Amino acid sequence: MKRVITGDHAVAIGAKLCRVEVVPAYPITPQTLIIEHIAEFINDGEMDAKFMTMESEHSVMSAAAGASAAGARTFTATASQGLAYMHEMVYATAPLRLPVVMANVNRSLSTPPGIWIEYNDSMGERDSGWLQVYVEDNQEALDMIIQSYRIAEDKRVLLPIMPCLDGFVLSHTVEPVEVPDSSEVDSFLPPYEPDVFLDPENPALMGMLMPPQYFMEMRRQTDKAVESAKEVTGEVNREFAKVFGRDYGGLVDTYMMEDAEIALITIGTVTSTARKVVDDMRRAGKKVGIVKLRFFRPFPADELRSALSGMGAVGVVDRSISYNGGGPVFGEVRSALYGMTMPVINHLAGIGGRDVTEKLIATMFELTLKAANGESVKPVIWHETRGESL
Amino acid sequence: MAAQTLAEAAVIEGNYSVAFPFFGAERRGAPVLAFTRIDSGKIYSKTQVYYPDCVVVLDDSLLDTIDVVSGLKPEGFVVINSKDVPEDIDLGMEVQTGAVDATSVALEILKAPITNTAILGAFAKVTGIVSIGSIEEAIKRRFGEKLGEKIGERNALAARTAYGRVVSGKSMGVKRLEVKKQWLPRYQEIPVGGALVKGKTSAGLIGPGSFIENKVSGWATFRPVRDREKCTMCLLCWLYCPEGTIIRISDKGDLMTNYDYCKGCGICANECPVDAIKMVRARV
Ligand code: SF4
Ligand code: SF4
Repeated sequence: MKRVITGDHAVAIGAKLCRVEVVPAYPITPQTLIIEHIAEFINDGEMDAKFMTMESEHSVMSAAAGASAAGARTFTATASQGLAYMHEMVYATAPLRLPVVMANVNRSLSTPPGIWIEYNDSMGERDSGWLQVYVEDNQEALDMIIQSYRIAEDKRVLLPIMPCLDGFVLSHTVEPVEVPDSSEVDSFLPPYEPDVFLDPENPALMGMLMPPQYFMEMRRQTDKAVESAKEVTGEVNREFAKVFGRDYGGLVDTYMMEDAEIALITIGTVTSTARKVVDDMRRAGKKVGIVKLRFFRPFPADELRSALSGMGAVGVVDRSISYNGGGPVFGEVRSALYGMTMPVINHLAGIGGRDVTEKLIATMFELTLKAANGESVKPVIWHETRGESL
Repeated sequence: MAAQTLAEAAVIEGNYSVAFPFFGAERRGAPVLAFTRIDSGKIYSKTQVYYPDCVVVLDDSLLDTIDVVSGLKPEGFVVINSKDVPEDIDLGMEVQTGAVDATSVALEILKAPITNTAILGAFAKVTGIVSIGSIEEAIKRRFGEKLGEKIGERNALAARTAYGRVVSGKSMGVKRLEVKKQWLPRYQEIPVGGALVKGKTSAGLIGPGSFIENKVSGWATFRPVRDREKCTMCLLCWLYCPEGTIIRISDKGDLMTNYDYCKGCGICANECPVDAIKMVRARV
């Protein structure tokens, strides 16, 4: 059924369709609509889940880990300060191999205080062992909740995952979304059946102290699980495409890359706007394309290398800053492209909610083209930032 | 809500549509901005609208402070909530305009000055982009789902009524609004850490106390009037006023409302336990 809904609403419907069993929650803008919708579904009898109103986000993630450890399919959502506040428990959840799904509605982390989009909240959790996927529209937001459970609960993965959507740009924007049939989702996503879970009849120990003689093996185990998620992500995408007819490409997606001379690496909603800019520039005869970085964890280094081989230059759009190092996506992309010779340019834009317009994206393409033509271009560009020159 | 309902109506007609609020913080009673894009195919652009085909103005008092037609295409439309006919409305641009007194429509039918559904009826009439039937259907769906069928139907009736009452014509293009200056420092000029002390820039005051320049009374549809006889000086209104506009003249003495900063939200009237505050139409 087609519905005209916000990104937050789409996420909540996704959680409902996945027959989530436990939802610990704490409100924070721009995520609050998600848990409000879920609370309504439960209240109206459309969803059979335990809704737990917690006293803080730290408790939210503690409860989520507990519920997941007890074998329940668990969902929550957060943003910004909320994610920062649960940071300790975010780190605890992944090596315990608990497949919690938590939507993060990207919002800048204070200071300066703001409620608008920046990726510095979720990118700060990149070393936690959580998988992260960034979406470009409300349809993908809903679909990725469903895919997230399949990926997270796969026995080769068993990791928590954070589908990330742009605050306000998606969370509060309505657009048409195809809501899948509940029966189709049921056959795509079987119930979660962990091998080991907290059960008074069959006691188990979880999260014990790991002295040095075990610690590195534990870390490597988690590291390996993140690596395995690459394969699983691809499989799940292909199967999803078969059942629901929407193919997101897997770890990365490409647009007009077949004969492209330069590429822009985009993440989140900038991708969507950039698609239109590519169409316009193609009409003007410029061979530009997009590589959409969907998963930031696992990081698709090989996929990027093959998608970008032969490019004259690569531009990387970042919507947050790793101080004095350019954006976090830039750092990782450049490292993934090590040994390849094309210039890699970092385009910092839209941080803290500044609108990333079509004109601005066209400027990014033009500057990247310049770099491809051997002209000198700053490696890290602060776009539309007063006091900075291009 | 109006932007979203319009998007729903467009989708009902088989189009694609996206609607979103200005990506900003909202305050009760403060002016808000929302956008709708409509196209026959999927819309990819995820940015705000800078060059609209149509501008919908829900409150004509905004004309005094905001250049509502900024970026509007010359062949575009304006739909405005106003008691005046288009020829008497000075938008600073001569443009096809449909005017309707949506506030009166809303007060008659909804018993509240909530004009966002009524104005959509006018939108359908003036632009023809969506039919009034689809607007009614969209209103019934969105409002019906949230607030019940009855309210959905009443809001649809408000749209239908405004559809019938809208007056079309050309607006006046005389006024030149002075654009309010903004302080836009380079990063090198922002005080370290953004710590502002009391100061003055070419665009006005900054730092503590600078909000005194931000008079918000123009937003108010209603303003509070207190009945001194009834008032028991419980101070609840003083406590609840989000703008800090109600002033205690002395400890045991009287209260005063500074109408320059009252945005007419009505919270004081709602909180008063003895109904001593009445909200009255600010402008007629
Ligand atoms: S005085 Fe009353 S109406 Fe005016 S801003 Fe304060 S609470 Fe709102
Ligand atoms: S809330 Fe009512 S009774 Fe109390 S001080 Fe205000 S006007 Fe007077």
